[in-house]
Amino acid sequence: MARGTTSFQSFYDSTWRFFCSLRLTVVTLFVLLAGCLVGMFHDQTWTYEEHRNVWAQAAWKLHVYTFLELNDVFHSWWFGVFVLVLALNLIACSIERLPKIWIDVHNPQLRLPDPRFHAMKHHVHVQLPTREAGLRLLRQYFGHGPLGAPYVPADAPNSYFFRERQRYGRVGVYVIHIALLMIMFGSILTTEFGIDGMMMIPEGGGRNFVQSRGPGGLTASHDLGFQVHCTDFRLKTFTDGAPLDFESDLVVTEFGSQVPVFQKTIEVNDPLEYKGYTFYQASYSPRSGEQLVKLSLGPHGGERLTHTLAVGEAAVMADGTQFTPVEVMENYGGLGPAVRIQKVSPDGSATHFNVFRFYPNFDPQVRRGQYDVLFLGFDRLYATGISVGRVPFLPVVLVGFLIMFIGMYMAFFMNHRRYWGRLKQLENGSWEVALVGTAKRHPYQFEDEFKKYKKTASDFLKRLNDEEPSTTGA
Amino acid sequence: MHSTTWYNLCAIGYFAGLFLLIANLAGRKLFWQKLATVTVALSFIAQTVGMVFRWQEAGLVEVAATERATGLTLTGWTYFVVFTQHPPWSNLYEIMVFMSWGVVLVYLVSEVKWKIPAAGIFALLLSLLSLGLASLTTDSDIKPLVPALQSWWIHVHVISASVAYSAGTIGAVTSLLYLVAAKDKLTLRTLGAGTLGVSAFLIFILGRGFELFTTGQYRVKLLREMSGEMVPVGRMVQDKFAAYYLASPYVGPLLIATFVTCVLGGAFLWWRRSESDVPQGRAVLAWAAPFLLLTATVAVMVTNNLTLTNVELPSAIAEQLMPPGPWRFAMQSNQWDLSLFAIVWGAQCFVTLSMLFPNLARRVLPTGEKLDRVSYYTILVAFALVAVVLVTGALWAHYAWGRYWAWDPKETGALVIWITYAIYLHMRMSYGWVGVPSAVIGILGFFIIIAGFLGVNLGWFAGGLHSYGSA
Repeated sequence: MARGTTSFQSFYDSTWRFFCSLRLTVVTLFVLLAGCLVGMFHDQTWTYEEHRNVWAQAAWKLHVYTFLELNDVFHSWWFGVFVLVLALNLIACSIERLPKIWIDVHNPQLRLPDPRFHAMKHHVHVQLPTREAGLRLLRQYFGHGPLGAPYVPADAPNSYFFRERQRYGRVGVYVIHIALLMIMFGSILTTEFGIDGMMMIPEGGGRNFVQSRGPGGLTASHDLGFQVHCTDFRLKTFTDGAPLDFESDLVVTEFGSQVPVFQKTIEVNDPLEYKGYTFYQASYSPRSGEQLVKLSLGPHGGERLTHTLAVGEAAVMADGTQFTPVEVMENYGGLGPAVRIQKVSPDGSATHFNVFRFYPNFDPQVRRGQYDVLFLGFDRLYATGISVGRVPFLPVVLVGFLIMFIGMYMAFFMNHRRYWGRLKQLENGSWEVALVGTAKRHPYQFEDEFKKYKKTASDFLKRLNDEEPSTTGA
Repeated sequence: MHSTTWYNLCAIGYFAGLFLLIANLAGRKLFWQKLATVTVALSFIAQTVGMVFRWQEAGLVEVAATERATGLTLTGWTYFVVFTQHPPWSNLYEIMVFMSWGVVLVYLVSEVKWKIPAAGIFALLLSLLSLGLASLTTDSDIKPLVPALQSWWIHVHVISASVAYSAGTIGAVTSLLYLVAAKDKLTLRTLGAGTLGVSAFLIFILGRGFELFTTGQYRVKLLREMSGEMVPVGRMVQDKFAAYYLASPYVGPLLIATFVTCVLGGAFLWWRRSESDVPQGRAVLAWAAPFLLLTATVAVMVTNNLTLTNVELPSAIAEQLMPPGPWRFAMQSNQWDLSLFAIVWGAQCFVTLSMLFPNLARRVLPTGEKLDRVSYYTILVAFALVAVVLVTGALWAHYAWGRYWAWDPKETGALVIWITYAIYLHMRMSYGWVGVPSAVIGILGFFIIIAGFLGVNLGWFAGGLHSYGSA
């Protein structure tokens, strides 16, 4: 590039250098780190007004607060700007450095200039009596086959060897960066075009609106374009009342039609997917009022009938005796669910007693009344809390995750190493084997590797002496 | 045998290993060092066995609870699924045990690979601290798992988190050792100044920011002993239980004094950092005053917790509180704060010892170059594993909650740790900040791990979807 051509050119150059620099990366990461910390300390589920009331009473505080959008840091303009800067930085770095590395990886210097055989940190130099012995030792370093084939230039009596290992480890960092870009852009597009909301559907009801958190913490509604009905919600609890599992039967219908087009029972960790939306079982809340109690009633020892009653509703027997569930207790004194029953005899006298769900023999065997009352269960009407997600660019993010791990493997576990060898006849007639190498990372491991090569050479020399003691002794 | 029996065995073993390692520093016989490693390894196995037992105990609880709730008798595959669904890393108690396991695991691997027994002393101290905190938490009972945690993702997610944060911890330890060993890079005065700076910052955070200075008080949880357990005392505020905090006597003024001397002493040491290696003259006072004050503060804090077993309150306040008295202080009043103070105090102790015996300290430590390398590799491992934590967390969140990323405080905490280590790695490359600067970031990484990992459970941040376990 010509120097000092136009002011635009120099502006372009300096901008490019700015976006290529690793220092920009570090500074951007620090800003994003600060943003994350602010977002952790400042409850981001509050609305702007709630924050304002608690925190920013003074005018200047409010200005700073509003300007920096501290109620929604992660979607604020400045956080976005720095994410974008990081993305540009990654792209510029890759454009600047990747081609050079690619060219270097694919065009190694096969024949190292002679002076450099003595200038490198990691080296092995051995003197051997014959050329054949030298070649044998070099084969141990460079292997057989095409790798071990020496390069014999026409202009020199020496033979040169070259080998490299794990050369694609060099591009691992860029693979990680490309993966990060995919994750970042996938996420930005998902935030832009996706939905992350909630809907509460009462049992037996249907909904077509999703509530999500919009700009400034305000609630926004989104029309699905179809209806989701909850036909039944079931809450399984442990005996102490803690939830074991909860599930909803969901049915999807298109507008103007009652025909179910899709149905599934969803539970935590097992969602329903329809038209790009995913419906997750997230929560539940009991609807006030109605509880249905299921009782089995009949003459003592005789045949019983099942009655489903609302609390306060009476079941009337043939002789006029009335049984009314008065109160449902989810856990009565550690004995599990129980229901309190009011019995009104035909003569008008009323008594109360409890029956237990987990002890069906209690009533017939302990109370031993004229009628047996068994508590089969109770159902309370719930509204099921469904979290609704639409993540249109999720595959991009997922592939990004995968590529990131491949990149990490390449960057951290692969080490691009190059080895050069030379076989040269010295002035005293003996042959010198030289081995030098460079590694792109893990220099200490590489040092250990060269210690091993030195040992290979000394072992080789010892064996050679054992075989032909007369030749080397001279 | 019960899992706690195994944990107790393992704690005894870690103590034994600790003493062997310390004794070995003086004599440095290969035999004692090997004996220490073997002791620690055996205790580690005991802890692993304890975790298997814990898994089995939890499995039996889960099966019994599920059978009672559904009225079915579980068999075959269903039995297996329910039996194994509650791994020993699903509440705060178990996580603390698991963290102590992870730290020792990473230490043992690094011992095999690099042989730095001095790092083992720190690793075992932190591991024992974590075990101690676990024994103080109140949720050691096995309760059935909440539905959101009933997933296979929990295994990869939590195991990689434990190993990642443990690797980061070991990286921080070797970074601290590096700062002592690197004689030609920085003086012990500089290290002292840095230590005092970090101490002042942590006192500021643990003293609840400006509250310490405006009220002059350091407040801890008031407790009531009920059937052998310490239960927090509090009152209902808008239908929610709010624990009652009471000033721990004398601690507030002592903490303020410590903070001030930390700032002044740190500034003085920094100003005169290149005068000599070991502080001399007035610099001795600049280091000793905050160190002794912190020692006194921690001692008073612990004494208060142990001796104030009958706290009287004005009747206007006492009427609102439940459960009714007698109220008391105990270690559970401020166990998490106390452990952080202990970590800071331990670091100051280490720096003090290095200042008293600089030649000995540098002789028993490996070379700075080696320590720098070990920090780099352990933090590299931490970086890669935090990536695993983030990705598995995102995938799990996608399947369980319908979004893979929602800037929940705990998610953000893991990201913060990851970004910190990304900065560490990029700085080594771009600025060539090998050695002292990278060691400083490595040490800061440890505190960020604590904030990101425990901060949410301890209520430092807004509650989120991850706040299952609590102190």
